[in-house]
Amino acid sequence: MDQNNSLPPYAQGLASPQGAMTPGIPIFSPMMPYGTGLTPQPIQNTNSLSILEEQQRQQQQQQQQQQQQQQQQQQAAVAAVQQSTSQQATQGPSGQTPQLFHSQTLTTAPLPGTTPLYPSPMTPMTPITPATPASESSGIVPQLQNIVSTVNLGCKLDLKTIALRARNAEYNPKRFAAVIMRIREPRTTALIFSSGKMVCTGAKSEEQSRLAARKYARVVQKLGFPAKFLDFKIQNMVGSCDVKFPIRLEGLVLTHQQFSSYEPELFPGLIYRMIKPRIVLLIFVSGKVVLTGAKVRAEIYEAFENIYPILKGFRKTT
Amino acid sequence: MAYQLYRNTTLGNSLQESLDELIQSQQITPQLALQVLLQFDKAINAALAQRVRNRVNFRGSLNTYRFCDNVWTFVLNDVEFREVTELIKVDKVKIVACDGKSKCLP
Repeated sequence: MDQNNSLPPYAQGLASPQGAMTPGIPIFSPMMPYGTGLTPQPIQNTNSLSILEEQQRQQQQQQQQQQQQQQQQQQAAVAAVQQSTSQQATQGPSGQTPQLFHSQTLTTAPLPGTTPLYPSPMTPMTPITPATPASESSGIVPQLQNIVSTVNLGCKLDLKTIALRARNAEYNPKRFAAVIMRIREPRTTALIFSSGKMVCTGAKSEEQSRLAARKYARVVQKLGFPAKFLDFKIQNMVGSCDVKFPIRLEGLVLTHQQFSSYEPELFPGLIYRMIKPRIVLLIFVSGKVVLTGAKVRAEIYEAFENIYPILKGFRKTT
Repeated sequence: MAYQLYRNTTLGNSLQESLDELIQSQQITPQLALQVLLQFDKAINAALAQRVRNRVNFRGSLNTYRFCDNVWTFVLNDVEFREVTELIKVDKVKIVACDGKSKCLP
């Protein structure tokens, strides 16, 4: 299926297997062993979207209870599948693919006897939220633009020595108590403090950020300090993408006012604070979206997959 | 107190060499030589600030930069110095720059 190929390699494992009747919403491939003891536990879904759907879902719970019980016995794989609106990229045994989805499963009600969530090839797909039609994954992958990370070099540093001997360094203690150093590959900037702690910004991927931080640590080491590389941690990731259609921000702020803030006189973008995953999205009239606040790449992707159907609902038609 | 920045220029170095010769031949004391250099600092700073009016543009690619103790040090490559009258091309140039506005310290 084409939609699978458009996904990045690590997401393809989640894409619907060939020939599945699902409309392409990501489910776990049958390769994933089900029932490994990591069966998703019911977690009250605080996703903004699910709050809206809770009401609709509960209406249909009774109807589908028995049907789902039979289905669960038949199905070998699959933890849960999202509803038609595909807001929840649910996860199965998270231990299998730890890097893909960090967030605990977003299943709405996986226990038997509660509402559903995956289709069986035998029965037709029953939309849980009849209001919104079934939609496929967006096929758009947000691109990472900036990664901020920190690392502890593990020793006190003499900033003046570093500033005098290293290349491409600035040190103005009256203005800021750190050396600002830059390297060209990967193109990044580091703030190096006298405590030995360092902040590395500007990288476009997690691996580049780590590599850059190592390069800075090597520079410091070559200057004679006993630098180590302790507690490297990515603190923030920023991604951006384009949905390719204009968006009615006013409409979006009216229906999602718990999560949105839109002050066009202050800032032209709508600030959407998604609860799960905890990501802040800046949504612009042009259709460009900026996602920030992620600790892992998967949160960015998940947040975008969550917001995409909502944005489609607020597409400008003129 | 003026910047001692200009002691390492063609003019400043010639002065320093001449003073060293005079000290060698015992014609002046080292203390006097120091005073001469301090006077040179004042004079060159004043002259560049007051008596020089022409403007030179330059453009090149930045190799390295440094900012420490309020002194910028740049190394540029493939630089073109452009004055109205003439153009000079250089492979490598090192620029040491001190703050023009504020009071200095040697």
